[in-house]
Amino acid sequence: MESLITAAARALEAGDPLGALNRVALRNDAPSLALRGIAMAQLGDLAKAKTLLRSAARAFGPREAVARARCVVAEAEIALVSRDLNWPVKTLAAARATLEKHGDLANAAHAGHIEARRLLLVGRLDEAERTLAELGAAPLPPASQVVRELVVAGIAIRRLRTKDARAALGRAARAAQLAGIAALTAEVESANLVLDTPAARLIARGKEHPLLLGQVEALAASKALVVDTFHHTVRKGGIVISFGTRPVLFALARPLAQAWPADVSREALMTAAFRARHVDESHRARLRVEIGRLRAKLKPLADVSATKQGFALSPRKTREVLVLARPVEEKHAAVLAFLSDGEPWSSSALALALGTSARSVQRALEELARSNKVQSFGHGRARRWMTPPVPGFPTGLLLPGPLLKT
Amino acid sequence: MKRSAAEIVREYGPFAGVEAVHGVTYDGTHVWFASGDKLNAVDPASGTIARSIDVAAHAGTAFDGRHLFQIAEDRIQKIDAATGKVLTTIPSPGGGGDSGLAWAEGSLWVGQYRERKIHQVDPETGKILRTIESRRFVTGVTWVDGELWHGTWEGEDSDIRRIDPESGKVLEQLDLPAGTMVSGLESDGGDRFFCGGGPRGNVRAVRRPRRS
Repeated sequence: MESLITAAARALEAGDPLGALNRVALRNDAPSLALRGIAMAQLGDLAKAKTLLRSAARAFGPREAVARARCVVAEAEIALVSRDLNWPVKTLAAARATLEKHGDLANAAHAGHIEARRLLLVGRLDEAERTLAELGAAPLPPASQVVRELVVAGIAIRRLRTKDARAALGRAARAAQLAGIAALTAEVESANLVLDTPAARLIARGKEHPLLLGQVEALAASKALVVDTFHHTVRKGGIVISFGTRPVLFALARPLAQAWPADVSREALMTAAFRARHVDESHRARLRVEIGRLRAKLKPLADVSATKQGFALSPRKTREVLVLARPVEEKHAAVLAFLSDGEPWSSSALALALGTSARSVQRALEELARSNKVQSFGHGRARRWMTPPVPGFPTGLLLPGPLLKT
Repeated sequence: MKRSAAEIVREYGPFAGVEAVHGVTYDGTHVWFASGDKLNAVDPASGTIARSIDVAAHAGTAFDGRHLFQIAEDRIQKIDAATGKVLTTIPSPGGGGDSGLAWAEGSLWVGQYRERKIHQVDPETGKILRTIESRRFVTGVTWVDGELWHGTWEGEDSDIRRIDPESGKVLEQLDLPAGTMVSGLESDGGDRFFCGGGPRGNVRAVRRPRRS
């Protein structure tokens, strides 16, 4: 390798991006562009880093497939951290294959982890798990192990498997210590916070209290009838009745469960389900129809009986009815949940992650911004949204390790 | 042009604490190699490091009989081999894009990696005396018995080649196994070359073909 590139790469490795820039700032050959890109990424100028890495990938010759693939991986990681989820996945997969073919297994694994993190972020848990499994348990450098265990923990948290999540975070903490990278240790700690911060609210017999993730998980094994506002289901034990496509029925089930064992008046039910301000005869007729539908759907778990005032829930074979709700009830709770990872998101990335239209995400963001719950920076396509800083699940920038050591 | 597979006679290292080998030379007793912030002298019989000098060492290494020459960043340092002291420095001809280094016939020969060039340089002033064009990225450079050899490394392929010092034409080529890198080259004056293994952090001895 050549002299200044070696010196600059050593500076980068020693955590001195400015020292690296000093040595290659005026050079435009491929390795210098790549080095400058990584230095800029470490300094936080992701837009500049992206451009530099892209030019580096172009500048490497046809014989330098590995170097080019490493640039692609670095660019993909920058895209992930900038929440540019539309970044071409196929390009990353091809780079990963190239690295595998040429025996650069550490960077190939790094590429695989970026894929898995992206899948986790957009909620495709099965695919994320499959990608991790493909990588196997090959010996990885400690920093890569941290990333791997964070993804495992992320999947476990989304699946409400607290024990698995804690075990993975424990392994991540040990690997972070081995790696000696403070940013990684901090990332593992903040992931641990997720497990110790209330994840939900339990409403029973008119009273509320916060629940940790582990307690939410324990509910699955309880004998209670649970009205789950996260998944829009009513469940008990293994029986799950989904209301995903029947919002009106779910809107009736929830107040009935919250009031249990008391009943709920017809007026209150109509307000909750139809958002009707002035109730008239047509609403009463509609309520009768919808209660009939709800009764049919709930049949395996509960009955809905008429009372003098309105209706009451009568659960079968249980003496407990619970409502599981978000810690803070928000109209746009799902949008906030994604933004609470503390990273800047584009509205199109949010739409992709939420599976809704860009327009409705835009409306939600504008509404949230008016109440100061989110903030934005940039304009047009470059506009990004964030929540004011709170502990969350941040995604750091690790970049392919020996990018320049060819 | 004669072309054959390189015959690797022996491998030295990897050595503890050495991440990569950037340059190689031979002082008649020890094989010296550059490892970033050190120059290390290896006993070719035992394969162990006999001595190290703390000095910036990012690319080629050479020996003129008394001094070690070592490229660091964009300059060439002249080092007293006995004391390890840097005596003088001259600017390197490639301005930091330099790779291999050799001493022969009173001149320094410097490979300029991506420019695919070898410069003949005045060791006192750093003045470029002439430039030879190669066809591949140049890593190590060495002279032996009037033959100019250099290492190449482009993408995932490396070889050691003898070129015509006048025209740059390739006369002979020794191909290293796929995925094996050459990062520094030195002849022992006999039938061996020492070459650095780049990120593998090792040094290989390769047989020099006999003249018939």
